[in-house]
Amino acid sequence: MPEVPPAVILRMGSHSEKEYIEKTLKQFDGVMVGANLLQISPGATASLLLKLHGICGRPYYVDPMTYAFGSYRDPDTAKVRDDLDWIKSYQKIPGKKGATERKFKGSYRKLAEYFGEPFSTALDRGRAITQADFSNNKVVDAACATIIEFQAERLRSVFREDPQTAALADDLPRPKAVFAPYFYIEPAHVKHWLDLNHRLALATTKQCKDIPVHVVVCGHLDLLAHPDLSALVVKNLLECKPAGGWLWFSRFDERLASKEELLALRWWVEQLSPTMSVFNMHGGFFSLALSKLGMAGTMHGIGYGEQKDVVPVIGLSTPTVQYYLRALHSKYSVLQIQRCFTRLGIKNPEDFFSKICDCAICKRIVGAGLNEFPQFGEIHYSTPNSKRAAQTPAAAKRCRYHFLLNRIKERDRVQRLSLPDIANECAASEKLWSKTVIGPSSEHLQRWAEVLTAGD
Amino acid sequence: MTKFSRESQLLEPVARFAKRKGFGLQSVELPFYKYRIDLYGFSHKNDATVAIELKLKNWKRAVEQTMIYQLCADLVYIAMPEISARRVDKSELESNGIGLIGVRDSGTCTCVVLAKRHVEVHLPYRQLQIKYLKETVSA
Repeated sequence: MPEVPPAVILRMGSHSEKEYIEKTLKQFDGVMVGANLLQISPGATASLLLKLHGICGRPYYVDPMTYAFGSYRDPDTAKVRDDLDWIKSYQKIPGKKGATERKFKGSYRKLAEYFGEPFSTALDRGRAITQADFSNNKVVDAACATIIEFQAERLRSVFREDPQTAALADDLPRPKAVFAPYFYIEPAHVKHWLDLNHRLALATTKQCKDIPVHVVVCGHLDLLAHPDLSALVVKNLLECKPAGGWLWFSRFDERLASKEELLALRWWVEQLSPTMSVFNMHGGFFSLALSKLGMAGTMHGIGYGEQKDVVPVIGLSTPTVQYYLRALHSKYSVLQIQRCFTRLGIKNPEDFFSKICDCAICKRIVGAGLNEFPQFGEIHYSTPNSKRAAQTPAAAKRCRYHFLLNRIKERDRVQRLSLPDIANECAASEKLWSKTVIGPSSEHLQRWAEVLTAGD
Repeated sequence: MTKFSRESQLLEPVARFAKRKGFGLQSVELPFYKYRIDLYGFSHKNDATVAIELKLKNWKRAVEQTMIYQLCADLVYIAMPEISARRVDKSELESNGIGLIGVRDSGTCTCVVLAKRHVEVHLPYRQLQIKYLKETVSA
C-alpha cells in the first residue's frame, strides 16, 4: 500500500479556541470548521481563516454538518430518535423572567435556512430528514449544489456583503476540498442511509469539478467490521471516485478498540487508499501510524476529539483536560502520572524530560522543579458557590499546548520511522509502563503493534 | 451474605476503628483533585496520615484508587465487609504497601493486612490535606 506523509488537521470547535489555532497551525496541516460555527459567526470565522491564511497558508475545510439533521441513536437509551432534540437547547423566553423553552440552536436554524429544502422543512416540522425527503433527484441535485456553494463560497461572500471588506474576498482561497452532504448511517435503517449517502456523493462528484470532492462515511461502530456492509460502502466509494474519503465510526476509540476493530480500520484504509486520500475524522496516534499503510491523515480538536460520538453525551460540568503522555499516546490525570515517578526512576527535571516529555511547556513548568508538575492539574473553586473544584483555565491551557506540541512530535516521528519500528516502540512502551500504576491502561499499545504488523 | 449493602454503611465502624488507632482528626469525602477520599485521618501523636477507601466488592478498583492516595497519605487502607475481604489477593496489596480492613456484621473491624509507610507520599499534597482537615474539622 502507498505510504503517505501523515497529515494532522485541527478542528476548531469554537472561537474560544482560536488562540491555539493561531499559534500552532503553521506546524499542522490544515484546519476544519463546522458549518454551524461558520453560520452563527460568519464574520469572525471568515476573518480568522483569512488571518490564518496570511500567517501560514495552511488549507481549510468546512464540515457541512448535514448529519445533524438526520435521525440518531440516543446515547442514553440506545433508541433511534428523529426529534432532532440534540440540536436544541434551553433558551430564555423574552419577557418572561426565568422562563426557558427548548428550541433549535440558532446556528443550526440558520444553517437549515441557508441549505433550504429539505433541511429547513425538517426543522419546521420538528422531525429528522429521511430518505423519502430526497426521493426526487432534483432535490438531491439542489441540496448538493447549495452545500457545495456553501463550503466553496460562503466565507468569501461574507467579505463581499460588506463594502469595506469586499476587496478581501478574493484573498481568501477556497477550501482544499468540499464534502458531499452526508448523514449518519443509523443501524436500524442501514440500507436506506447507505443509498441516500451514495446518491448525494455521486451527485456532488458529478457537479463539483473545480474543487476536489471528499466523502464522509459516518456510521455506527458496528459498520466498521461488518463484512457485507463495509464491502458495500467501499464499492460505493470506489464508484464515486472522490478525491478523499473520511471515516467516522461513532464510538470508535483507538485506545479501547478490539484487535478486530483495529484490523477492520486497517482494511478500510488498504481498500480505499490506492484511489483516494483516506482520513480518520476523529483519530489519534494509531491513525497516524496507519499512514504507513495508506492513511492520509487524521483530525482532532485542540485538546480533545481523538474520538467522537455522532451524538455526544453532554456532561454537566466542564471536562478536565488531562495530561497527554506521549509514551502511551493517551491522556492521564496528573496524579496518575506523578504516581509513576518512583517506579520509573524520575527524581529530577532531567529525568522527567528524558522519560516523559521535553516539550517547551514541560521545560518551562517542570524545569523549575519536579514539584511543579501538578501545575498541569491545578484546580480551584470557580465560584464561591461551587461544590466541586475544577481545573483552572491556566492548567487546561498548559495541557492543551502540551498535547498539540506532542502531536506534532508524534506526526514527525511516524514519518521518520518504519512501520516495524513504530510497532516495536509501541510494544516497548507498553512493557516499560506495565510496571506502573497506569500499566493496565496501556494494553492498547500491544494491540496496535499486532495490528500494524499483521500479515508481515 | 453480609448486612452491608452500601459503602456508606461501612463508614461509621471504620471511622471508629481508625479513631481507636489514633487517627482522631478525620474528614469524610476529602477532595483530592478529581477524587474524593472516603475517609482521611491524621494522628497528631504519630504525625501520620491515613486514607481509607470503602468498598463492598471491587477491590481491584480500590487498589487503583489507594495507590493514587499514597501521594497524599502515609498509610492507605481498603475497608470491606469481612466476607469480601477474604477474596482479596493479599499479596498484591502487600507488594504495594496497601492495608486491608475487614468489617464484621457486628460493626467491629479487624486489620487483615497492615499498611506500610511508603516513599510515594508527596509532601506538598500531604501538608495541604492536613491543613484542609484542620480547617474543616475546626470550622
